[in-house]
Amino acid sequence: MFRKTLSMFLAVLMVAALAVTMVSCDKSNEDFKLGVILLHDEASTYDLNFIEAVYRAKEQLGLKDDQVILMRNIPESNAVYEAAADLVDQGCDIIFADSFGHETYLLKAAKEFTDVQFCHATGTMAHTENLSNFHNAFASIYEGRYLAGVAAGLKLNEMIAAGKITAEQAKMGYVGAFTYAEVISGYTSFYLGAKSVCPSVTMDVQFTGSWYDEIKEKDAATALINNNCVLISQHADSMGAPSVCEEKNVPNVSYNGSTVASCPNTFIVSSKIDWTPYFVYICEQVKAGKEIALDWTGTISTGSVVLAEVNEKAAAAGTVEKLEAVKADLVAGNVKVFDTATFTKGGEALTSYMADVDTDANYTPDTEVIKDGYFHESEYRSAPYFDIQIDGITLLNTNFG
Amino acid sequence: MNNQVALELNKVSKYFGSLAANKDVDLTVYRGEILSILGENGCGKTTLMNMIAGIYYPDHGTISVNGQEVVIRSPKDAFRHGIGMIHQHFKLVDLFTAAENIVLGAKGDKRYNLKDVNRRVEEIANKYGFHVDPKKKIYEMSVSEKQTVEILKVLYRGADILILDEPSAVLTPQETDRLFDILRRMREDGKSILIITHKLHEVMSISDRVAVLRKGEHIATVETASTSPAELTEMMVGKKVELNIDRPEPKNVSDRLEVKGLSLVNTDGIKVLDDITFTARSGEILGIAGIAGSGQKELLESIAGLQHPAQGEIVYHNPKTGTSENLRDKDPVSIRELGVRLSFVPEDRLGMGLVGNMDIIDNMMLRSYRKGHSMFVDRKKPKDLANKIVEELEVATTSTHTPVRRLSGGNVQKVLVGREIASSPTVLMAAYPVRGLDINSSYTIYGLLTKQKESGTAVIFVGEDLDVLVEICDRILVICAGRVTGILDARTTTKEEIGLLMTKTERDTETDPDMKEASR
Amino acid sequence: MKTTNTAVREPLFHVVKRDAMPLWKSMLIRVIAVVAALLFCALLSVLLVHANPFEFIETMFKGSFGSSRRLWRFAKDAAVLLCISLAITPAFRMRFWNIGAEGQTLIGALSAVAVMIYLGDKVSNGVLLVLMFAASVTVGAIWGCIPAVFKAKWNTNETLFTLMMNYVATGLVAYFLLLWTPSGSSVLGELQVGHLPTVGHNYLLLILAVLVLTALLYIYLQYTKQGYEISVVGESENTARYIGINVNRVIIRTMLISGAICGVAGFLIVGALDHSIAETTVGGMGFTAIMVSWMAKFNPLVMIGTSAFVTFLEQGAAQVSTNFDIDSSFPSMVVGIVLFFIIGCEFFIGYKLKFRQTAKNGGES
Repeated sequence: MFRKTLSMFLAVLMVAALAVTMVSCDKSNEDFKLGVILLHDEASTYDLNFIEAVYRAKEQLGLKDDQVILMRNIPESNAVYEAAADLVDQGCDIIFADSFGHETYLLKAAKEFTDVQFCHATGTMAHTENLSNFHNAFASIYEGRYLAGVAAGLKLNEMIAAGKITAEQAKMGYVGAFTYAEVISGYTSFYLGAKSVCPSVTMDVQFTGSWYDEIKEKDAATALINNNCVLISQHADSMGAPSVCEEKNVPNVSYNGSTVASCPNTFIVSSKIDWTPYFVYICEQVKAGKEIALDWTGTISTGSVVLAEVNEKAAAAGTVEKLEAVKADLVAGNVKVFDTATFTKGGEALTSYMADVDTDANYTPDTEVIKDGYFHESEYRSAPYFDIQIDGITLLNTNFG
Repeated sequence: MNNQVALELNKVSKYFGSLAANKDVDLTVYRGEILSILGENGCGKTTLMNMIAGIYYPDHGTISVNGQEVVIRSPKDAFRHGIGMIHQHFKLVDLFTAAENIVLGAKGDKRYNLKDVNRRVEEIANKYGFHVDPKKKIYEMSVSEKQTVEILKVLYRGADILILDEPSAVLTPQETDRLFDILRRMREDGKSILIITHKLHEVMSISDRVAVLRKGEHIATVETASTSPAELTEMMVGKKVELNIDRPEPKNVSDRLEVKGLSLVNTDGIKVLDDITFTARSGEILGIAGIAGSGQKELLESIAGLQHPAQGEIVYHNPKTGTSENLRDKDPVSIRELGVRLSFVPEDRLGMGLVGNMDIIDNMMLRSYRKGHSMFVDRKKPKDLANKIVEELEVATTSTHTPVRRLSGGNVQKVLVGREIASSPTVLMAAYPVRGLDINSSYTIYGLLTKQKESGTAVIFVGEDLDVLVEICDRILVICAGRVTGILDARTTTKEEIGLLMTKTERDTETDPDMKEASR
Repeated sequence: MKTTNTAVREPLFHVVKRDAMPLWKSMLIRVIAVVAALLFCALLSVLLVHANPFEFIETMFKGSFGSSRRLWRFAKDAAVLLCISLAITPAFRMRFWNIGAEGQTLIGALSAVAVMIYLGDKVSNGVLLVLMFAASVTVGAIWGCIPAVFKAKWNTNETLFTLMMNYVATGLVAYFLLLWTPSGSSVLGELQVGHLPTVGHNYLLLILAVLVLTALLYIYLQYTKQGYEISVVGESENTARYIGINVNRVIIRTMLISGAICGVAGFLIVGALDHSIAETTVGGMGFTAIMVSWMAKFNPLVMIGTSAFVTFLEQGAAQVSTNFDIDSSFPSMVVGIVLFFIIGCEFFIGYKLKFRQTAKNGGES
């Protein structure tokens, strides 16, 4: 009898709980919709990174399937505006676009649909356009690259200690897409990370002129290896460079996700941006009726910059512990990536640098970015603007052969 | 001939769309006989034979071999039942020898042994009287030798029933006689031979029986001995036909076109025309006889401005102005601009003279579309011309908007000849104008050519049927391997004389002063 | 004989050529093919992506007709595709297999953008647009005519040549993008000069322009002497020589026209839509256009229908990808299947299968 009463009681309680949950459910939460414009689809690692972040954010926020609309394969053209307008028609509150080239067309839509929030990854125009509904976002990926560089430096040290190479032969190779600040900032922070543990390191950079071109990336990696580079990293989206490294047994530091599955012997570590915190942030701000930051920079502290698991098989001993320590220093502000004491340009330390922060067609420098002994990357705007060619790094080509 | 049935067709039909190529055809072939399959072009002769040889599959009806009903789905099946076909277009590999071609694709459980093959080929050749060297390469062979190889190929595979599709079309009269001797020897050996043909005199000379087809239907099979060409023609056409060609005496003859020392080298570097000299006269039909591919096509195309001869002159005497012009190295447009009214009915009607996918009106326009300064074409006059030709030449078509490829061969030719004579030409060249045409259409074309001659046109007529050439032409130019081997008076010459000149080599011409005389 | 015991077996079916079919009947076959293809795809959608088949077909239609905005986008996309299809049509009617429309359009677009960049702040918008148009058309025509000249002079293979010219055009765009983006991003972004004026709706001017071009091309091909010469050369070069047409001149002239229309398409894309250029600006339409033109049997008026149909398929597929939240591989498969059915049904318009007639006897056994 008691048992029956108890079960009845429990049942009533559960129904009540359910009812309360339903009532407490914010009505604006039901109406809320996020639209995402993607350059390609899951076949591209770049877009896959965004798609996975959207799904994670959707789960964290408890959004239903019809509250998130993904538009795939939208090229960097007027099609962005059309996709955005279509998403507005479908009732989206926030429209996000993932590619740099989407920006001007997304901006056009933002100007037309003023009551919808537009967020754009990797862009540069929000802080100059100053619209209340157009926002840029990026992450301080240079911090991740720096950490990855530390892992690379440790590997070089191990090779020197084992007598495989001399300290002077510690040369890394880097496959870059374009001679563009995002890439320059990336390879420089990677180099400085390596240099912080292996002072004799130098680096060659080979550009491909494309964000995704497997054959060109393979060719570039092969050229670098033939040019006596003993460790390779890259900033381009295909598996070109990592697969060449695995084939030739050259250690590789990857980007945008772990390649350990296909490169078990050579993959050391990789850094990437995790966009989940940003998606969660923008959705929560809009649902709460609050403003989204004009230009948001995710950092290693916000969980926007992450490292994949270190591959113990390829990495030097003690890499995991060292990375933990350096990460703690970065979070605490004890270590600055672009500390002017750690690098020179033309043999001299830099004390002043004007960067082109407010984007214009002529690429005019407008902001002093060296203060307090370090280069303030991603502080005046989220997208990188470090574009200095420092000593120790040789560019093998600038016209992308 | 005995009474053993080798092959029997029972109510065989084949349709192409709604068109019945063959309808309920019954046919019996005995062992040891030569059966001619006679009929006009398009009557379904070749389609019927193709069904026996496994190239087409009948829509209805059955085929029996040696009293046993069989299914022939492919030439391979046909061979299995002892049936082999020699097509009009040879299917030989040029770089292989005769023996290699013969053995190619043939089944054999023994290992491939070329010596063996050579021996067996020679055996068969000797048995029936072929002259062939098994080791000779195909590209070194004459047309008749190639045909021999095709026949040997079929015999080598053990065919008892042989089908020959117009075997004499590519042969000289002498070669044809030799072939017929061989066929007779095969008949004695018990083979059954079916010959597709539309030449009545051949039917009469070679076959034991004649099967006549008309519009896809089997009209009758008759004993050759008990019939006559006139009766056969009536059966083929379905009504009585007057077979006489009218040849009026030339009037107002004057030199119109003089070809002097014309030589042409083709893109392969071969001299296809060698020092050709002749004169075409107004009011006269000049026939050109020769084995196919002796330079007839190149000669006419050179005159029409489509080829670029290396040497010689083509002089046109303009009857209106009395002036003379060298047409060599002029293109068709500039020839026309000179006021030369030169018409040309080429051998390849749908590939050159007409555009198959265009309707009759647009085909009329080919010659005249440039007229006027407007950038738009004028379809009014071509339409009138199309209507006129359809009416006057009795072209069977539903409308002038029908694409010409839908018309039958005879009607296509009427459209082409009609257009070419519409501009009242002073020179009219026609290459094989009756090839593939039924008898009625052929006689219509002969009539048109003769009418042109009577109106003072210089007609040049390239033909293949020597019987027709000697009946219709005033003079006959014989050409062999790009050289003129004789110019004969058509009223006095014979087929045999022409046949000899058609195969006369260069050396013969040089050592024979009489012939040199004749070529002048 | 060995054959005595072989059973007589007629083949299961054999192929028989048909007569010319009345238009309504052939259209009916095509409609049936489309319906069958959609049903087949719906079935696949159930099996592969576990989607409701009716919802699937409905989504296909919503992609193009779901809202007035989509309808405009549909009309605009079809018009751009139609424009490029028009461009390749004269060449194809001539049996000159120009598969370089992609490059010819891209180079036309690049020329327009070059004018915008170098003269954008120097002349008024009207003058700028005229210059852009002139540049696009001229450069497009030159680009199209290069393979034709090589074909005429040295008999090079036009298919390979035009294909290779596409890569050269893409390379040139990449080069100029680097030149024009000092930051090194190679992303030009939307330029603020050289926009075509808006008439009624944003896309209306473009659509009308293409429709006028369609009519002009139809008249050119059907009623002018040059159009007639193109048909003759295409049907038979021998006939063309026979009546004294200078075949090489016709080839070069026609490719100039083909390239020029590609230039117009490039100009329209830049002036009316993108106001910018990227290597992907034409996005494969130069190749899709071949199918559009072919399906219409090279008739410009019919191409209005075929370009609309292909656009409908592509937008339907994109909508399926969005609504069912799947990557683009399944929707692309759907487009492929539908096109396969359409092209496949042409076989049944030309031929029919005749099945074994003894089949009815088979019931006895």
